[in-house]
Amino acid sequence: MREFLREHSWAVAVSVLLHGLLVGGVILAAFIPAFRPPPNLQPLPIDAVVVDSQIVHAAQQRAAEAAASVQAAEQAKAAAADAKAAEEAKAADDAKAAEDAKAAEDAKAAQDTKAAEEAKAAAAAEDAAKSAAAAQKANLAQQAAAAERAEEAKAAAAKAADAKKAAEAKQAAEKQAAEAKQIADAQRAADERARQDREAELRKQLSDEERRNAVESGPLRDSYIAKLRNRIQNAWIKPPSASVGLDCLVEVTQVPGGEVTSARVTQCNGDAAARQSIENAVYRASPLPDPPDPALFERNFVFRFKPDE
Amino acid sequence: MNKRFSSLLAIGFLLFCSRTWAQLVVEITKGQAEAIPIAIVPFESPGAAAAPFDVAQLVGSDLARSGRFNTMDRKDMVEQPHTGAAISFDDWRRLNNDYIVVGQVQTVDPDHFNISFELYNVLTRQRMLGYQFTANKPGLRLASHQVADMVFQKILGIRGAFATRIAYISVLGAVPHRQYRLIVSDADGENPHVVMQSNEPLMSPAWSPDGQNLAYVSFEDRLPSVYVQNLPTGERRRVSAHAGVNQAPAWSPDGKKLALTLSTRDGNLDVYVMDLATQALTRITDDPGIDTEPQWSKDGQTIYFTSDRAGGPQIYRVGIHSGDKPQRLTFQGSYNARPRVSPDESQLAFVTQEDGGYRIATMDLHGHGEVQVLTKGHFDVSPSYAPNGAEIIYATRDRGRGVLALVSADGRVQERLVSSEGELQEPAWAPF
Repeated sequence: MREFLREHSWAVAVSVLLHGLLVGGVILAAFIPAFRPPPNLQPLPIDAVVVDSQIVHAAQQRAAEAAASVQAAEQAKAAAADAKAAEEAKAADDAKAAEDAKAAEDAKAAQDTKAAEEAKAAAAAEDAAKSAAAAQKANLAQQAAAAERAEEAKAAAAKAADAKKAAEAKQAAEKQAAEAKQIADAQRAADERARQDREAELRKQLSDEERRNAVESGPLRDSYIAKLRNRIQNAWIKPPSASVGLDCLVEVTQVPGGEVTSARVTQCNGDAAARQSIENAVYRASPLPDPPDPALFERNFVFRFKPDE
Repeated sequence: MNKRFSSLLAIGFLLFCSRTWAQLVVEITKGQAEAIPIAIVPFESPGAAAAPFDVAQLVGSDLARSGRFNTMDRKDMVEQPHTGAAISFDDWRRLNNDYIVVGQVQTVDPDHFNISFELYNVLTRQRMLGYQFTANKPGLRLASHQVADMVFQKILGIRGAFATRIAYISVLGAVPHRQYRLIVSDADGENPHVVMQSNEPLMSPAWSPDGQNLAYVSFEDRLPSVYVQNLPTGERRRVSAHAGVNQAPAWSPDGKKLALTLSTRDGNLDVYVMDLATQALTRITDDPGIDTEPQWSKDGQTIYFTSDRAGGPQIYRVGIHSGDKPQRLTFQGSYNARPRVSPDESQLAFVTQEDGGYRIATMDLHGHGEVQVLTKGHFDVSPSYAPNGAEIIYATRDRGRGVLALVSADGRVQERLVSSEGELQEPAWAPF
């Protein structure tokens, strides 16, 4: 957790700051009556929000999954690296045993390149080992006269044979390691693609949210509100009792396409005729106009009837 | 994990948090002053004897005449249900109706009818009214007007005034055979009854608050006198016959006093209040100019009147207690006369001169005295409020003939009343 915080300090800081602003705003709103929304303006259960929260939740879950799979890939990569390191160590030892540092270094360098090159390097190392063994043999032939050195030569030959064997073993191990690395690389590439896909998807969702947030406070939202207002005002036949001082809230539910499925006057200081006229206005206005941006569609919203004349 | 990726998550979460604060609230500050579309389906009339008239049509024409309803043309009706169960709401909605009235008129016996009706909201499919009552043949029109009243009140929240009466003066023939009649009819002009007839002028009918009596000016004694006539009994008595002018009677809200205009010996007209029981007079105005056409405020403590004390006729008001100083109300134009107070005393209706013609205007009594000219005729005079304040009846001229007309108190709708013969003048709308 601490590691996470350290690693993502920027995001956490922004998040904490904005949350702080939000909480501060709420507290401020609670203390300034003018900013307190009327009781009925309390946020109502909005289907759209529920859907959105699910999307975000799903996105979060998917992100977690993506993170997990990235982690798994990284673990696999680390395991492969460990195996490779072990092999490298062994190969280095073997090369030392063959007393050809150059071949060993070549081999080591080959380990970082592609599998084919590594195989080639391994073959080169084998050749080097072979020539080393031949040189040793020549040496041994020159000292053949010396009987006491015969055993040494024999031992050297045995050592050379060991070196050859070791080189062969090393080649096999390196081949195995290369294969493992190839698989790990492929896996890592696939995981990376998946992660990028998921990130792109989440980014898109977030950008939808950002766009929605942008349009909700922007001119498109204003234009939608103006369209709704016009439609309702044209549909509202004011009864004689509806004049300055009337203040009524009507909760409206619409379905995509704008058809009003319910209109219910909640808080209203008017008479029965005023309430009736308000509900009728909403039904008469059905279907309600489409939002200029689909992101603005609200299934539930509130009309406030407050005539200024 | 990618740093940017987690940043996106953090921002997404913040967006999610802020989303719940974006409740869409649209404020509606204006509405239409349109007529409400309503379908009055012809009432089913089973049984041998049909009703003497089309009840649904009467209900529809009442509602339409008020200007607040737009009744659907019958030929546009694709079906004619008679009960709520038979209404296809979607169809009626498609034909742009907000409301529908269905009903039946059943003949109980040749002289009695059973009316049943229902009012539905087409948009919400709610049943708003359902009534059934019996009426005798002469009462069937009144019963039909009552149906209209109930529908009117249920939808608009104000009492309908269709089942009320009006009084007016009808002048027939030419001099020297001219005949004056005081007539009381239904509010739609139908069913007229002559309550007083004279070869000398009759003027200024005024209803008592209980609707049982009419006060009016008669010249039957060659000089103007004020009479009070009881309608149910026809009994009449002369209550004011002072030397000179006796005119423009107006009942106090309690029905115990009359305000009227009397003249002094030198011909100066002033407003007085007469106690009907004792005929004792109290002088309300005292000014060398003409003070006339008094009207009581709702509480009976103030009298509105016309005076030319400032030159041309203008409208003033004064408390009935001595020492009260008259207050001028109208300042717009050179001629404002014959004030009538709306039932809730929020408005004053009067005659104003505009573009050389006499027109009906109203003035806001609560706000800033805003004046609205309601009519466009050349000789629109004698306004009188319906008891619900929604309409004003007045006298006008149509092709040289005196007729009665209606205008809604907001000026939106004007209607001619079907008129019987003669020159019709000085309508007065009865109380409920």
